[in-house]
Amino acid sequence: MSQSNRIPGGRCVDYGSEINFRFNGRPLTGYKGDTLASALLANNIKIIGRSFKYGRPRGVMSAGSEEPNAILQLGTTPASQVPNVRATQQQIFNGLTSRTTNGWPSVDFDVMSLIGHVAGKLMPPGFYYKTLMFPRFLWHTYEWVVRRGAGIGIAPTEPDPDRYDKINRHCDLLIIGAGPAGLAAAHIASRTSARVILMDEHDKPGGTLRYSNDIIEGLPGIDWVKQITAELNAAANVDLLTRTTAVGYHDQNFIVAHERRTDDLSDVAPVGFARQRVHRIRARHVILATGAHERPLVFANNDVPGCMQASAVSAYIKQYGVRPGNRLVLMTTNDNGYEAAFDWIESGGESAVVVDIRTRVNDELLKRAATAGIRTLTGSAVFEVKGKRQVKAALVCGLDSEKNTLIGKDETIPTDIIASSGGWSPVVHLSCHTGIKPNWREDIAAFVPGTTNQKMLTAGAVSGDFSLSAALSQGASAATTILADCGFDLEDKATISCQEDTVDAFQPCFHIPHRKPTSRSPAQFVDYQLDVTAAAIELATREGFESIEHVKRYTALGFGTDQGKISNVNGIAIAARSTGRSIAETGTTMFRPNYTPVSFGAMAGRDVNELFQLKRYTAMQPWHEQAGALFEDVGQWKRPWYYPQTGESLQDAINRECLAVRNGVGILDASTLGKIDIQGPDAREFLNRIYTNAWMKLAVGKCRYGLMCGEDGMVLDDGVTACLADNHFVMTTTTGGAARVLEWLELWHQTEWPELGVYFNTITDHWATATLSGPGSRALLAELTDLDLDPTNFPFMDWRQTMVADIPARVFRISFTGELSYEINVNANYGLTLWRRLIEAGEKYNLTPYGTETMHVLRAEKGFIIVGQDTDGSVTPEDLGMEWAIARRKKFSFIGKRGIARADCQRQQRKQLVGLLPVNGDVVLPEGSQIVFDKPHQLPAKMVGHVTSSYYSAALDRSFALALVQGGLDRMGQTVQVSIGPDAWETAEITASVFYDPKGEQQHVQ
Amino acid sequence: MSNNSYATLEQQPAIKGLANTPLVNVVRGAIPGPNPVGIEEHDDVGHLVLRGDATLLASAVAEVLDLSFPDQPLTSCSRDRICIRWISPDEWLVTVPGNETFSAESSLRHAIVGHAAIVNVSGGQTIVHLTGEHALDVLMKSTCYDVHELNFPTGKVITSTLAQAQVIIRRLDSDQFELVIRRSFADYIWVWLRDAAAEFGVNG
Repeated sequence: MSQSNRIPGGRCVDYGSEINFRFNGRPLTGYKGDTLASALLANNIKIIGRSFKYGRPRGVMSAGSEEPNAILQLGTTPASQVPNVRATQQQIFNGLTSRTTNGWPSVDFDVMSLIGHVAGKLMPPGFYYKTLMFPRFLWHTYEWVVRRGAGIGIAPTEPDPDRYDKINRHCDLLIIGAGPAGLAAAHIASRTSARVILMDEHDKPGGTLRYSNDIIEGLPGIDWVKQITAELNAAANVDLLTRTTAVGYHDQNFIVAHERRTDDLSDVAPVGFARQRVHRIRARHVILATGAHERPLVFANNDVPGCMQASAVSAYIKQYGVRPGNRLVLMTTNDNGYEAAFDWIESGGESAVVVDIRTRVNDELLKRAATAGIRTLTGSAVFEVKGKRQVKAALVCGLDSEKNTLIGKDETIPTDIIASSGGWSPVVHLSCHTGIKPNWREDIAAFVPGTTNQKMLTAGAVSGDFSLSAALSQGASAATTILADCGFDLEDKATISCQEDTVDAFQPCFHIPHRKPTSRSPAQFVDYQLDVTAAAIELATREGFESIEHVKRYTALGFGTDQGKISNVNGIAIAARSTGRSIAETGTTMFRPNYTPVSFGAMAGRDVNELFQLKRYTAMQPWHEQAGALFEDVGQWKRPWYYPQTGESLQDAINRECLAVRNGVGILDASTLGKIDIQGPDAREFLNRIYTNAWMKLAVGKCRYGLMCGEDGMVLDDGVTACLADNHFVMTTTTGGAARVLEWLELWHQTEWPELGVYFNTITDHWATATLSGPGSRALLAELTDLDLDPTNFPFMDWRQTMVADIPARVFRISFTGELSYEINVNANYGLTLWRRLIEAGEKYNLTPYGTETMHVLRAEKGFIIVGQDTDGSVTPEDLGMEWAIARRKKFSFIGKRGIARADCQRQQRKQLVGLLPVNGDVVLPEGSQIVFDKPHQLPAKMVGHVTSSYYSAALDRSFALALVQGGLDRMGQTVQVSIGPDAWETAEITASVFYDPKGEQQHVQ
Repeated sequence: MSNNSYATLEQQPAIKGLANTPLVNVVRGAIPGPNPVGIEEHDDVGHLVLRGDATLLASAVAEVLDLSFPDQPLTSCSRDRICIRWISPDEWLVTVPGNETFSAESSLRHAIVGHAAIVNVSGGQTIVHLTGEHALDVLMKSTCYDVHELNFPTGKVITSTLAQAQVIIRRLDSDQFELVIRRSFADYIWVWLRDAAAEFGVNG
């Protein structure tokens, strides 16, 4: 039965190249150029899947992206699984493996179909809400069964082996859709110097010309397409993107397009090649030439495999050389529909019957049909399909003039395929992404794009004019208008000639009546993918869901991955009739991006694995890695966390590193600290305003700790600022706060105090900083510098310019550990050399590298805060016990002065920073633990603070913590209870926040 | 301005061979041009940021560097290994050979009369040249700026994003681009560029 439906003459397949693929385990063949859908139809495979809710057998409906049924699972390995692939757009390749997505346990026996046979009667909209809620405890059981039975596709269980990427594009003119309108527009634009992008979701341009019988410029349509395509490919100013779907149309003509680059080649993309690519396109102008989707009619059992769009029948015959049966019944509301019947007979089909719901039909057309041997029935309709697993026959009957009632006798016409054409729905989706609603046009019974603020024109069928001549002329004129607007020189405009038959008016019709009322007739499907029937929509309106948005949500109309491309208008029409309103009054639901599903891989692009997030390294990174450091993320920086030695635990390493600094000498890479160069005659005044403390008297060569507040008086950042020269300062910030502080300075300078002469520049990356800390640091530094380190000549909080290890350096005698410390700054190009030389010279001092964890413990022992850890945006300098850093008598105000003075900031019982000593010194309180004054009798209890920093201190030989506690500064010596788990409490004593060397003798060491 | 107002420092050691480029972590042999994509670091360059009024800086730049001044947005002026790039209405980036950094800084400081800032950032950034017939494609995959020759001709300088990092890009020729990147971002950018070039047959 190999390719029993294959016929000669398919325009897009290569009969010489056979392709082997699998469907549900069966080996099958097709030809190069086939889509999965055409190849399956060629092999006479009718049932492609089971429906979502009722598990009914479903077959191929369409030949494009509007396909609701033929949604398959692809992939040969667990890693290369792709769910939700439209078989109508997926080309086959050797080795392709496809499976049905729905149907549990199998496509041929489906549990849900037991329910589905009675489709709708037992499972109306809201079924799950109405039925499975009782008894409540059984919901999880219900859910398990329902989820096994429903759902579309499975996610891959292993990492995706493919790569994906993104590219940014810009153009004068983006043309979406390469049918006749798009090609005509691109052709004109290609002859100018305009930058043009033409994209189409199919593998080849042409749109309907790929299967139509049209003649353009004296050539068969498909040959004209080839000729234009060749010209466009040769034009340097045109990018022609195929297999590329514009999925989102955003503000300022920003279009996101999804290109499938290798999906037609293999299961996994070739090495180095991105399988899919997202194009981010900024277009000056857009021409929407997205065409129209043919609307099938709604009638009983219209989902039985073998029911198709009329145009899809033509597409399979002409494009792919596949005629999916021998006998055709075609129901139409318009002249275009007849083409499928003509193609059917011309291709050797046994019989074709056209059932035209119109009473009056063009004589020429009827004559042509008769000549071709096609039987025509006018004023009639197919109202029911016979057959369960495939179409067996059509039940046909006459219609009254209102198209609401069947009249006369039924006739049963045996057939293999029932095609229907209810007219055309312009593909308005992208226009709607721009935030506009489409407009209903009664004359063509279709929605057309509304007026948008974007620089966008429409051309061709999307505009509501379905003729070929209109497509060609509108495409050309849209391009001409835009090119003129952009100022490009145009050659003389030549019109493109084409032959076409005149087309008579069609009869609007959506829903074919049945002998029984809608609610009792066999299911009449509107939305195939989500199993929404005409009866369900009517029921929804009866239950009070009148707004179309509510109908959508209650019935799930248009909620599928196809977004109801072929179902929405029918659904809206049925809801309109049911509520006694016009379609215009009923309106549409909102179409949102994406037009077709986009894989997560494509959205992620190359921002995965090691490129997932930017990582910043200091100049000393190679040494840290060699030394076996573990790293901590601080903002985007990778900072050495600690340097474990063989067999050491984290706590062992921290204890060793801490004691080394307290008793000997340690070295820290402090390069990540934010550094801002400040120059200008008003630099000092600026500092005075931005910091809470005073800066007017800081002499050259001196450093000072500064505290920065927001306008609200809350601590924003802190750091040491040094005076390099009269008009020249260098400010340090927290590692994570560097960018924010620089912006803060620029904000105040640019918006409030532009009169101050001062410039700020980031020098964070320029200076590498090695900090020596501990009583032994002076002796070590002396080995590598000629600088006079005598404390009387180089006291605490001074800086000096010198050479260290033959490298020019600025040395700051400041301390974040409470020990004697020297921060050695050199141009980062020499940072690694400096570091290595310090390590080398430090060997005899047992110089110990330490990381951020040890730094945190050491600073906390001294009560030095970390902004963002010990503060949280609700903490004033006074809350931290840092009144000494507030200079209230500055001539000009400072940021935060007024905020600090607010009544709420001055009230008693604010949360204040204090020390905590757990009574049990072995217990390290978890950071973030909540605090109460007394063990509560019942919960919830009133929390009075929380632990901000908490460590074990090797120097103190016990645990300790910093905490924000209500009125804490007045509660020294009192105890609090710290919650450390459900019903678990630790008692701790409130102490001063400085635990180690409160007099500062170690850092001021003489 | 008196020299006491601003601190300058010869930051280059007299001894050679002590420097490590920002790409010390990742460079295992640059990918040389021309085809299909070349990615090469150009180190030993002095980077000076100038902030101030154009009129104030222009004469000093002409006098010290013998360069005309790019007072128009997004432009640059260069000769030999010296280049000055417009960065913002009051900011320019000067690059000079590494061993001329301190003399250029000092001379400019001396020549500028009025309020301006000069900052040596030589250790904080580096220059990568992206070349080859697919250099433009790699750039399009990396920055949202429109780098088409019509919008981004030779000599034009822009500051934009490169993947998740910041970059200054100058077009040197139709298929040659200069990227000024920050030291701490350098590893990331290098890996990103190599990855972006993979589809053009670049690996290593």
